Amino acid sequence: MTGSDRVQFRDELVHVSALNEYVYCPRRFYYQRYHDEIGRPYELVDGRSKHDGQARRGGWVRERYFRSEDLGLHGKLDLIESDGDVLTPVERKRAESETYFASDEVQLAGYCMLLEAVTGEPVNVGYVYLYSTDERHSVRITDRHRETVHEIVSQIESMRVDTIPPLTDNPSKCEACSARTYCMPEETARLEPERARGTGWENPDAVSLGGEES
Amino acid sequence: MFDESVVFVTTQGAQIRTDGGRVVVWDVDGDDGELATFPIEKLDTINVFGGVNFSTPFVAEANDHGIVLNYFTQHGDYRGSFVPERNTIAEVRRAQYALGDEGELAIARAMIAAKIRNARTLLARKGVTGTEFLADLQARAREAGSADDLRGTEGEAAERYFSRLDETLTDGWTFESRSKRPPEDHVNSLLSLTYVMVKNEVLAALRQYNLDPFLGVLHADRHGRPSLALDLQEEFRPIFCDAFVTRLVNRGTIQHDQFTADNHLADDAFQTYLGKFDDYMQEQFTHPYFEYEVTRRKAIRQQAILLRKAITGELDEYHALEVSK
Repeated sequence: MTGSDRVQFRDELVHVSALNEYVYCPRRFYYQRYHDEIGRPYELVDGRSKHDGQARRGGWVRERYFRSEDLGLHGKLDLIESDGDVLTPVERKRAESETYFASDEVQLAGYCMLLEAVTGEPVNVGYVYLYSTDERHSVRITDRHRETVHEIVSQIESMRVDTIPPLTDNPSKCEACSARTYCMPEETARLEPERARGTGWENPDAVSLGGEES
Repeated sequence: MFDESVVFVTTQGAQIRTDGGRVVVWDVDGDDGELATFPIEKLDTINVFGGVNFSTPFVAEANDHGIVLNYFTQHGDYRGSFVPERNTIAEVRRAQYALGDEGELAIARAMIAAKIRNARTLLARKGVTGTEFLADLQARAREAGSADDLRGTEGEAAERYFSRLDETLTDGWTFESRSKRPPEDHVNSLLSLTYVMVKNEVLAALRQYNLDPFLGVLHADRHGRPSLALDLQEEFRPIFCDAFVTRLVNRGTIQHDQFTADNHLADDAFQTYLGKFDDYMQEQFTHPYFEYEVTRRKAIRQQAILLRKAITGELDEYHALEVSK
């Protein structure tokens, strides 16, 4: 009994950015949600200042907050492009990689669904803009995306503080993760191997990344 | 992140300010101007000794960035701390307060057994033989049926270990027995000072990971006593604290004539001591379980994290730092 019964998140909506966090690593999301342990990594601070530096141009709406009880979602879209009646959300990513990830697609799908829930108009395309390449990629939102968003919202709603998600199935994600210091995936696998069973950290020797700090 | 995250400020009359996202140590009384500057994102602890003060805007920044400020006297006696308000995560505290006698004892057994193992390791490194008694006491600590049992075993181990510590010291230095408040000789003075310094590293680590340092698992809770910090410090005493003191003495870094009549280090020697202590905390060793290089400071913080994981149930037990070579 850790007092988790007192924690009640069911009435709360899921933030769209949480979809991305959860898909990246549910355990990382757990720390962020219950322990406020992610802090403010450099990337986030820097990303914020880049948002602020964006010039205003015609046909763009910036920083709009939306919520939908039906979807169980809320969030702020940092950019919406409007072309006549068609609204298209743009999600900007500071990450240094020259590509975007499945988690970014899910987040974008969340924005599209939120936008269509609020406007009543279908929104089937969104853009991911990458600072690293100064390119934007259009993403067609499919039924599969929509199902994934619903699934993740319900998984997040059913999270409990006394049940920590397992280590990630893909240890390369840990390399740049700011939660690694206290998540201790490699160390957990060495100290209590059964805790790593069935995860990407099952065999720490094969995936060891050393004790580097970012 | 861990290695340069602690700053010691000893310049009397210095003020610590914030300036455009950086921490600046400023010589207010003298003419030296800016003494040092650090990026605020990198720091988690600032230790000040004697007449050093913080500007009010800096304290607000320290609060926002989760930086703990510790106050010491000029001689290194701990006076108190400023602790940022975010360092209280309800779920971690709740789990800590909910630990029962059995849970506390299991953690304490691991800490004390590791302390005894590490005491034996230190003696072995210095060529002291005939320490099998410590192996027996370590086994007894692991089996202790109650906190009183465990304290008894720990006391016996400490007494027998200290009776052999003299053999690790170079000519001209002796250690008769452990004395505190006040320490009766120079070695005891260095031991007491080092225990305070390491206790403070442990305190900072516990606070950083949101454990309550005042609620112990073995040391009796007493008003104003950081019992959990004292508990967690146990495993580090021989291999970090005592080893540091023997190094200072054996390498001639500290000499007898650098002490005052009441066995305190003189001002210059204390500066030397702090510099060496910080270097020592940043020195790397091969971690016995994880097999990578880690600084002593990081190792202490990792133990605070492992302790939290044992308390919140992320790990099945507390894995104390046991160094066997």
